[in-house]
Amino acid sequence: MGSENKGSVLMQKYELGRLLGQGTFAKVYHARNIRSSHSVAIKMIDKEKVFKVGLRDQIKREISVMRLVKHPNIVQLYEVMASKSKIYFVLEYVKGGELFNKVLKGRIKEDVARKYFQQLISAVDFCHSRGVYHRDLKPENLLLDDNGNLKVSDFGLSALAESKKQDGLLHTTCGTPAYVAPEVISRKGYDGAKADIWSCGVILFVLMAGYLPFHDLNLMEMYKKIGKAEFKYPNWFPSDVRRLITRILDPNPATRISISKIKENSWFRKGYNSNQIKNQAEAKELVPLDVNAAFNSSETSFAEEKQEISKPINLNAFDIISLSSGFDLSGLFEASECKRMVRFTSSKPASTIVLKLEEVAKQFSLKIKKKDGGVLKMEGLKEGGKEVLAFDVEIFELTPSFHMVEITQTNGDTLEYQKLWKQEMKPALKDIVWAWQGDRSLPQSQQLL
Amino acid sequence: MGCWLSKQVKHTPGYEEPAVLAAETAFTVSEVEALYELFRKISYSIFKDGLIHKEEFQLALFKNSKKNNLFADRIFDLFDLKRNGVIDFGEFVRSLSVFHPNTAQDEKIAFAFRLYDLRSTGFIEREELKEMVLALLNESELCLSDDLVETIVDQTCKLVDSNSDGKIDPIEWKEFVRKNPSLLKNMTLPYLKDITMAFPSFVMSSEVDDEVLD
Repeated sequence: MGSENKGSVLMQKYELGRLLGQGTFAKVYHARNIRSSHSVAIKMIDKEKVFKVGLRDQIKREISVMRLVKHPNIVQLYEVMASKSKIYFVLEYVKGGELFNKVLKGRIKEDVARKYFQQLISAVDFCHSRGVYHRDLKPENLLLDDNGNLKVSDFGLSALAESKKQDGLLHTTCGTPAYVAPEVISRKGYDGAKADIWSCGVILFVLMAGYLPFHDLNLMEMYKKIGKAEFKYPNWFPSDVRRLITRILDPNPATRISISKIKENSWFRKGYNSNQIKNQAEAKELVPLDVNAAFNSSETSFAEEKQEISKPINLNAFDIISLSSGFDLSGLFEASECKRMVRFTSSKPASTIVLKLEEVAKQFSLKIKKKDGGVLKMEGLKEGGKEVLAFDVEIFELTPSFHMVEITQTNGDTLEYQKLWKQEMKPALKDIVWAWQGDRSLPQSQQLL
Repeated sequence: MGCWLSKQVKHTPGYEEPAVLAAETAFTVSEVEALYELFRKISYSIFKDGLIHKEEFQLALFKNSKKNNLFADRIFDLFDLKRNGVIDFGEFVRSLSVFHPNTAQDEKIAFAFRLYDLRSTGFIEREELKEMVLALLNESELCLSDDLVETIVDQTCKLVDSNSDGKIDPIEWKEFVRKNPSLLKNMTLPYLKDITMAFPSFVMSSEVDDEVLD
């Protein structure tokens, strides 16, 4: 079957390679972007099969979910395509295969198991912070890349927080029995975050022990064991891991350990190198759609060497024109609140603006670096697996007494940026702001022309 | 394939086959279908006739249907290739393609020139440049003395107008943009690469023939 597709070209963009895997609804192929030669995995989903079992809305939801979730330990969705009978997910290709295969060969060394667990928690924490729950965490959904780093895949059964009923609990039963939390089995409706934490506990047990904590040929017996968290540690199991797993595999979701508490656990913290995850995040930046890259290579006439940070770039008439909000077509694609770039004018001298920016950066624990061409770089402190927030700040001189300041988010999570920006940084800058560019709150009379 | 006749979808006026538009532009068929979702959203926001009117364009850009802006007006006029006061689907896709990250620089340079050539004379005249600077200053609530504005415009003209005939022609413009590539920043929309995930509903209604076997 699948091999017939080898060499065929999809949407004039991807050349299909070998079949990587196959499930009830989907087949996954290796493929190559013809333009960039970049390797991807393409998940081909049969529409008819999916519609038959009523997963129509779930597919749309899955796409929206994966679009929100960009993290070094989560398989990224690049784009989706479709034909009359199929849906294609173009995904990050993860070379090393399933973590599951490693476990089949026997238990994993403690340090390695810990590393996987740290990366798993980092990914899960990231998802939870944006209201996304995986709900089907198991070793088969955990992949390894070239460098032995973990990538969580298959958000096919995750659901956004908006699907919660009024009681704030999820109501669908799904997931694989062996990894499923007791409250999921009892079909009472449950907290997706707590259920994911349970699954992470089972995974940690499996990684360390090489077998499942809850296992019984009789499904009802197995459910009973899960309901009472009835399992045994092998004799050699280190006591500090035991303590942690016991806190995670607590049948009562209300008293079960939270992610933030897991991150404080001493066994978890051992060798927890947030930089390592950070570097991974930076390596990922090789793939991106950097529009500015093309511009940076060539020399711009106004980026003169002698310019220091307090001497802003002098704008020509076309530079000035291009600052208009009327040019910013991004509004067509998303709500203006989500914009990654903001501009304001200031009647203060450049030195005052820089002083204020430095003060604000300090207040929010951002490091300030000076780059070429009068750009200030502000960077957040490294923490956990989250991508670090970073901004570029450019100051342009309209006239000696008027400046335009442009702040662009260059790295980090958009939601986090929005929160920090809107609630804290924007108000903190008000002393130096003359007017925010493209601000909708302007009175109509001032929008002449 | 059997469903080809069974579902006759009613399309917006000026609808064109995604495959045709994909062949002519930087988009894949799927991206064109995703853009159709966006197009329908905008073109049914006020007048509900499947065509984008100026007010709907302003509403989408500024969340305010009454907010006029010289440059948004210019973009609307350039998108309106048939010059009939509305943007249909074909015009929408062809024009947005100029803003695609993979589109050639030359196409972007030419589009920007037409944008600034307010009266479509084939030249950007000094007066047009001044008018645009004043429009931006107004938008930014900046009041500069006329002398200062004149100085800014003069300085720029001197930089661009290499044959000193008092107006900017396409060749001078191209030369200037090559030296100041940041002027083209507005001509690229990174969002266009994300479009299939931003408007995923198209996957359900896609009319693209299957090219891959099962």
